[in-house]
Amino acid sequence: MIDLVRLTDVNKVYQGGITGALNGVSISVEKGEFAAIMGPSGSGKSTMLNLIAGLDRPTSGTITVGGTDLAKLSEGGLARFRRDTIGFVFQFFYLLSNLTALENVLIPAQLKGGDAKAHARDLLDKLGIKEVADKYPARLSGGQQQRVAIARALINNPMLLLADEPTGALDTHSGDQVMELLGGLHRDGQTILLVTHDAKLATRNAARVLSVVDGRIVDDARLESPERAASEVIRVRSEETSR
Amino acid sequence: MTAVIVKALADLRRRRLQAGVIFVTVLLSIAAGTMAVTLMSQTRDPYQAAFQAQKGAHLQVAYKAGTDPRLLSTTPAAIGATAFGGPYPVSTIQFKFKEQKFFVDAVGRDNPLGDVEVLNITSGRWAQANDEIVLTRSFADLHGISIGDRVKVTSVAQTPLLSVVGEVVDIDEGSADLSSQRAWVQAAAIPSLTSPDSSYYLMDYRFAADPTRAQLQGYTDRLRAALPAGSITGSLNYILIRNIFNITNQILTGVLSAFSIFALAATLAIVATLVTGIVISAYREIGIMKAIGFMPAEVVGVFALQIVIPALAACMLGIPLGTIVSQPLLANSSHALGLSYTPSFSIGMDLMILAAGLLVVAIAATLPALRAGLLKPIAAIAKASAPRGAGGRLLRTSAARAHLPRPVVLGIGDALARPLRAVLTLVTVLLGVATVVVAVGLPRSFLLINNSATGAGNYQVVVTRTSAYPDSEVMRVLKAQPETARVVAIGGQNITVPGVLDPVNTRLYRGDSSRLGFLVIAGRWFSAPGEVLAPAALLRDAHLKIGDSFTGSTDGQVLQLRVVGETYDINNFGHSLFMDLATMASTKPAIEPYMYDVTLASGADVAAYVHRVAAVQPDLIDVHASDTSIITPVQIIDLVLLVIAGVLALIGIGGVFNTLLLNTRERIRDTATLKALGMSPRQVMAMVTASAAFLALIGGVVAMPVGLYLHHVLNDVISNSAGNDTPPAAYAVFNAYELVLIPLLAVAVASVAALVPGRWAARTNVVEVLHAE
Ligand SMILES: Nc1ncnc2c1ncn2[C@@H]1O[C@H](COP(=O)(O)OP(=O)(O)OP(=O)(O)O)[C@@H](O)[C@H]1O
Ligand SMILES: [Mg+2]
Repeated sequence: MIDLVRLTDVNKVYQGGITGALNGVSISVEKGEFAAIMGPSGSGKSTMLNLIAGLDRPTSGTITVGGTDLAKLSEGGLARFRRDTIGFVFQFFYLLSNLTALENVLIPAQLKGGDAKAHARDLLDKLGIKEVADKYPARLSGGQQQRVAIARALINNPMLLLADEPTGALDTHSGDQVMELLGGLHRDGQTILLVTHDAKLATRNAARVLSVVDGRIVDDARLESPERAASEVIRVRSEETSR
Repeated sequence: MTAVIVKALADLRRRRLQAGVIFVTVLLSIAAGTMAVTLMSQTRDPYQAAFQAQKGAHLQVAYKAGTDPRLLSTTPAAIGATAFGGPYPVSTIQFKFKEQKFFVDAVGRDNPLGDVEVLNITSGRWAQANDEIVLTRSFADLHGISIGDRVKVTSVAQTPLLSVVGEVVDIDEGSADLSSQRAWVQAAAIPSLTSPDSSYYLMDYRFAADPTRAQLQGYTDRLRAALPAGSITGSLNYILIRNIFNITNQILTGVLSAFSIFALAATLAIVATLVTGIVISAYREIGIMKAIGFMPAEVVGVFALQIVIPALAACMLGIPLGTIVSQPLLANSSHALGLSYTPSFSIGMDLMILAAGLLVVAIAATLPALRAGLLKPIAAIAKASAPRGAGGRLLRTSAARAHLPRPVVLGIGDALARPLRAVLTLVTVLLGVATVVVAVGLPRSFLLINNSATGAGNYQVVVTRTSAYPDSEVMRVLKAQPETARVVAIGGQNITVPGVLDPVNTRLYRGDSSRLGFLVIAGRWFSAPGEVLAPAALLRDAHLKIGDSFTGSTDGQVLQLRVVGETYDINNFGHSLFMDLATMASTKPAIEPYMYDVTLASGADVAAYVHRVAAVQPDLIDVHASDTSIITPVQIIDLVLLVIAGVLALIGIGGVFNTLLLNTRERIRDTATLKALGMSPRQVMAMVTASAAFLALIGGVVAMPVGLYLHHVLNDVISNSAGNDTPPAAYAVFNAYELVLIPLLAVAVASVAALVPGRWAARTNVVEVLHAE
């Protein structure tokens, strides 16, 4: 299989940061994979995702996505890359409050210069929220907002879907629904990188769990079955707590 | 209190850019306001002071040369004058100085002092010999004549040389750029300077108190009744002369006060926008301030102070600046009046402007800040910024329908996201653009009127003759030139019109005068003897309208006249008549033209023509190219308009800039999100620019009718203050192309102003902004 994402010896030191947020991370993710990134707070999960999304640049090391070396892209090139290649789902949804759900979904397509209304309605339908299309975000529940955000992430048919704790701001029930959705997308062939705190959520769908501690990958577990997954994750968690 | 100041200063440091906007806009508007107030407080006083100091004449009357001097000496008593000067013999002379020829009224007067019309000698001395002449300083300055220069009198056959020995300021005539001028010689010198029909007696009258216009009218009526018919050939009253002195400053004061109110209004709109914006973005901080013990009034104080401190700094600079900038204008008018110029300012008035300015700014800052004072701490802490409506939806949908690119649609939506802010910003843009429209339009209107008076484009050469060289000779010489296409001959006479105080200066034409370029405001140009045109003031004072007939008189002879049209003429504030020379064909003595407006065949060499014709008779005729330059007072008004337009345009830009700063700061999270979704830096710039451009476009489009209306009104005010109605052509000085171009220019300027906030937004660091949530 082809590597869709490849990080080679990536380091990231934030301005004013004493230690690196990422220290020599090297991983690769194949097309069609559903990988979960886990780790304690402040371990560098979001940093990793942001770098892969081209939202920020590494201090050193190389990142390629779909064969493109992100370091070679200009600011404008990175923006185009995010628009065309990446779908990003945030913990706090970040819908634009003065646009309706449908308008929010359409933005990436419109930034590209196309009209994707039919596609957007299809997505909303598929995500089970077609009735909220013309509502403003303030009128939607958290779960609905996150599903709108997922539709927005998918509108340009991205090669890679990145989700940073997409259930973090949701109640259990809504969180389950969102994870269910991601699982369905994966079954349809979508490559997904998911950051989450919740081991159960992670293992229910992900076939691979990357564990990050202090900016280092400490474990990379490929799970054959859900049962195996649960035990693996429990091992990782106990390692974490023992540190 | 210390806490309030410490906090306000800390916030100021954080919002330097906005403090800068407040500083600049307050500075500009307070400087304009100070100029207006300084000029206003000084406009009337200097003339009044000079009039008292020089014992100005309330009424000056010209009597026919043949009038019995003993009869004249009874006139002061007849009208109850408390003091009088004259009768002085006067002769209208032409003299030549360095190839230029001038007409002046040479007054025979042995003493510059006396009870009326004291002549203030500003340099040199009084004429003591028959070959000495004294000029007005205004005339000498305008034409570059100095003491010791010699002038050659060309209106009499002997062409005597006179030495200029003194310069004076005469309070009883207008300045040389607006009025004809007097000169003074020894009374004994007058006979040798007198040519036929060029002399008269002048008498000055002064009364115990300043008479009203009606009283003056009564005095002249009484004089007419007491003397043989036709004895009075002209008169001048102090009200007219005072108006001539004051008109420039009056117009300037009017223009400046109107526009400084604009500037202040725009500044207040910016202040209110800014404070509202700061309060909105500082919700959480307000909550914290309250939680740690700030009283509501102190919270308000923190926000108001952030505005008042830069405003105070701006006033400290702007008030002296406005005072200094108005000094040249004041110096100009006191110079004209022969008053020694002392830099004039009043600390008291400046302090009042300071207090008033700060008070108004403080109120504009406090009203929106009250919202912060009233906020409940818990609610405020919970919400980082004030809730925002889904504003601009309709607009956004229609913009989207118009298939504008998404960043543009988003930008337009942002522009209106906060309706109050949008409205206040539109006000600043509107005032700026409307002022620019006025500043573009008025000078054009002035130019149009100026051209009608100077014949620009209609005739190129003006010839004047002295009585020593007959009309028929001039015509023969002109007709003999191959380039001469048309000659219109002009004569002058004063005609007494019922109901009008002073005899009316009348211009009499022979030839095709309809093609000289005079503006006909209503009715038509005259086409037969007896038909006349007049400006608005004369028609009003004489209670005449187009179609009315009336009886005028000159030299005791009656003229039947009929008004066929209204024209434009600022001479004597709209008191003049225009008619065919043939109207006076039967009056005795016969009136002969003395001036010729010559139209040359197209492509003719004007300078060569002037040179050739002048050489025919170097002394007895004066030939020069028509002077189409704009008179100094109008140039000053044009300049002030330009500066004012610059000021309001800058304030408008400040308004847009300020709003963009607030919008981009408030929307930084949205911008970060959009960037995460793939909006490129260029698209972010486009979004911010679209916001600015949209505000400028709407403001600019609305400003066009407002500006055109203001242009209309100001034209009327200025024309009326000079005794005229506005010629319709003076309104229509914009072409359709410009009406579109001006709002587009506003859009362009606003887009440039958007560069700073746009770049700032484009450089938003997504990770940092979203991480900070
Ligand atoms: N923009 C930034 N500027 C400075 N330091 C940052 C920034 N973003 C993250 N960090 C720091 O980098 C480290 C890694 O942060 P990161 O957000 O990647 O962790 P995380 O694993 O996503 O944590 P969490 O589970 O809390 O979201 C932390 O120490 C954090 O404080
Ligand atoms: Mg994180």
